[in-house]
Amino acid sequence: MSDLLLIDRRWIARGAARSSTLRFALWLAPWIFLLLLGIYAAGLCLYYGLNQTNMDNRFAFGMWIFLDLAIIAMGAGAFFTGFLVYILKQKDLKPVLNSAVVVGLTCYSGAVAVLMVDVGQPLRAWFTFWYPNTHSMLTEVTFCISCYLLVLILEYIPVVLRNRQLRKVPSFLVFEHQFHKLVPVLAGVGTFLSFFHQGSLGGLYGVLRGRPFAYRAGFAIWPSTFFLFLLSAIAVGPSFLMLVTATAEKVTGRQLVQPGVYRKLGFISGVLLAVYVAAKAVDTLVWLNITSPSVGFGPRDFYSYWPLSSTFLFAAIVPLGLLPAILLIAPVTARKRGWLLCGATLACCGVLLNRFVFTIQTLALPTLAFDEFLSYIPSWQEVATFGAVIAYGVIVYSLSYRYLPLFEEGKGAGQHVSLG
Amino acid sequence: MFPWVDGFHWTMGHIVFLSLFFAAVLVIGSTLVSALLWTASDFRSRRAAELCWRINFRELPEAERHCRHEFAGRAPSRVCDNAFDCRSCQNYAKYAALPGKDFSRNRGVHYSVNLLYHRGHTWVRPRGDGTCTIGLDEFASRLIGKPDTVDLPAKNTELVSDGVAWRMTKNGREIRVRAPLDGTVLSTGGPEHEWFLKIRPHEPLNLRHLLSGAEVSGWLAAELDRLQLQLSAPNSAPCLADGGTLMPDLMDAVPQADWDAVLAATFLES
Amino acid sequence: MSARYGMVIDLDRCTGCGACMVACAAENNVPPAPPSATPRTGLTPMLVHKVSNGLEGSAQREVFIPVTCMQCERETPCVGVCPQQAVEVDKATGIVMQIPQRCLGCRYCMTACPYHARYFNWWDPKWPEGMEKTLNPGVSTRMRGVVEKCNLCHARLHGAMEKAAAAGKKEIDPTDYVPACVEACPTGAIVFGNLADRNDPASRAADSPDAFRLLARLGTEPKIHYKSRQAWVRALAERGTSRSSEAKHV
Repeated sequence: MSDLLLIDRRWIARGAARSSTLRFALWLAPWIFLLLLGIYAAGLCLYYGLNQTNMDNRFAFGMWIFLDLAIIAMGAGAFFTGFLVYILKQKDLKPVLNSAVVVGLTCYSGAVAVLMVDVGQPLRAWFTFWYPNTHSMLTEVTFCISCYLLVLILEYIPVVLRNRQLRKVPSFLVFEHQFHKLVPVLAGVGTFLSFFHQGSLGGLYGVLRGRPFAYRAGFAIWPSTFFLFLLSAIAVGPSFLMLVTATAEKVTGRQLVQPGVYRKLGFISGVLLAVYVAAKAVDTLVWLNITSPSVGFGPRDFYSYWPLSSTFLFAAIVPLGLLPAILLIAPVTARKRGWLLCGATLACCGVLLNRFVFTIQTLALPTLAFDEFLSYIPSWQEVATFGAVIAYGVIVYSLSYRYLPLFEEGKGAGQHVSLG
Repeated sequence: MFPWVDGFHWTMGHIVFLSLFFAAVLVIGSTLVSALLWTASDFRSRRAAELCWRINFRELPEAERHCRHEFAGRAPSRVCDNAFDCRSCQNYAKYAALPGKDFSRNRGVHYSVNLLYHRGHTWVRPRGDGTCTIGLDEFASRLIGKPDTVDLPAKNTELVSDGVAWRMTKNGREIRVRAPLDGTVLSTGGPEHEWFLKIRPHEPLNLRHLLSGAEVSGWLAAELDRLQLQLSAPNSAPCLADGGTLMPDLMDAVPQADWDAVLAATFLES
Repeated sequence: MSARYGMVIDLDRCTGCGACMVACAAENNVPPAPPSATPRTGLTPMLVHKVSNGLEGSAQREVFIPVTCMQCERETPCVGVCPQQAVEVDKATGIVMQIPQRCLGCRYCMTACPYHARYFNWWDPKWPEGMEKTLNPGVSTRMRGVVEKCNLCHARLHGAMEKAAAAGKKEIDPTDYVPACVEACPTGAIVFGNLADRNDPASRAADSPDAFRLLARLGTEPKIHYKSRQAWVRALAERGTSRSSEAKHV
């Protein structure tokens, strides 16, 4: 094999087949451009203020909050895979674990970066830690997400240290070996933290008494949206991971995992999705028939405004909820990769729709009798920042795939090493 | 957060929330600190170098981890499970007692029965005065030819078995040659000399893990087969030569080959 | 003794002149809106809505509804949600306080408020040359990126308290504490007072059968009451009735 084309050969694992450096650079170029454009847009917002966006006093939350919720739901695959592998001992999912960590890291760090631009005074972010309001779901989210981001960084470090050149440094190699033993502990803490923040993100909306569209009754201090968001996140996490892995296989032209891994991820995703759909159906009935009417709001107040009609509600539950669950579980479809990926895509779309509905529809709907139904179109700065987060994810994943053992290609990694 | 902040009062909510949060942070922090402490402990107790070698060993492809007893014909195909360290191997005595086969056909690379060979292609010659000299074997020398640079350790450097003994570069590639045994460097030589390093090995001297005699032939035969497969053109069927001698200065003769893979396999880098 | 300051706004008297909005802006150092501001990004702690009954011809009726922070008493929506306790209810007065210096600008409180009574500083505040002389020294200006809202002219309450303290009195004189909008209203449509005091005019007005509160069914217990003899106006308290009415801001 000619290595004239692989200028960065020394950084690539021995025996790993990778495309030429030029081709890799060409792949990265548009994503880097997108990233830079988004950084510029974010810079404008930080410099001039949030008037650069199309958010306003009625749409206090906009595309960025929707983006944050969406990518954190997608990133749930990281903690959930860790939970499945280390706590529930599903060893056959081990090959996708490193990939899941990278996905989680980019999702969470991207979300936090966007949040820093989204808030009016980013330098005051530490105030939440100094003056926490334990009644607020957002406090809970802030604490847990910060902690969990730390966990993800710590889980990523061993993956980075296994880079071919970095592992030549003895202290890195030994540290990675020692730290690797504690990853199950991190997986446990990560599961604990994720359970709370995925739920609290739902709780953010469920506690809004002033927005009957979002408000839900619940259990103790937790509205039903706490549990629904958590369920939908763990349902969609494995699906998103499947899509990322399939995309990686398509782009690199290589088989990276055994086919059984897709089937398993799909099955887990499907079962959780089915539970979620059932829970959501029950919750919707309670909400529309009991909770909202008790404060004088009903379906007419929620679904009379085009285009945010009850079609969205139906879509979230049936074609983007029940249907993908069936596709992912039913043996006739689940045994085929194409149907699994179709189901995964639909599941992700369903969760995206759900997050969109809670963020945008809640704010679009009038509350006062003389309010209007309003709409909002994000500005280019908002879209560019969104694009930058996606580009950032692709870039980090691509770099990780090229230089790090994301998929443990055939080596004996993970085996026990003892001193003779 | 704290009692002196204006208007603050402790509630059960605060206690539960903050204690859960700090418990999580404590657990996270302690995993990091534990790993750092264990790492430091490994370095202090000098286990780090051996640990590095063993981690590296387990990630070599299986084809490069075959047991020496297989080359000697004493065992059928067998993969080493002790990082080539026959000195501490439980099974060594069992296999060593078996009769070996004679592979004295010289398959294109010279070796000497007076030298002891390390799997990383260095040889050791114990000199009667308690010192040893270390050199690069014929296989590796012919592969590399004349190195562009040679970076030998300074006098009194401590060598660790399977750690890095010296480095060379050729055609922009770095080669890290593994030390065949523990010892202190007494003097240095180089490619122009008879040997690369003269060392005083640490007591007690145990050279059991080094190959000698007929098994070297079997090992070199396997290495040559591996080399030929690695050097064959990508889309052609693999061919193995039946005779002839290994060309000198292969890296210059075949510059377009995957030297990365060849050098890594030769010098036991994963 | 703790007070519960609130208002009763007589909608039959409100002419929609907007003097309350102007007075509020002047009192609270609201910066002039930049050229790219829209009605949805403007800073209007007091905002007058124009609402029609949706009928045509001689049956058409309109009402002007000044909307400000409702000073919710029960499980105040914006207090519970603020991640850094930048909003709290002052127990002595019942006023919902916003601390701009602590506000992160996350806008969660704005999402929580059903009355849309909270406003965000989308721009850096800038006053044209010379206009800074019109600033009210009793009220601090806010920086870009924080939320603000009506706080019942808390600076005027401070002024009344200082005056009472200087005169050696424990209680303020009610006539010393009059919010700017109340003072400016030419028809006296806004009656302000301590709802905890049974004898206070505001308290008595709030007990009137014609009085109502917006979205009372949500259970936030707002302290801003409205009053109207017109049934269709009283019906605007809750949704589900005059959905066809168009609201315009003054």
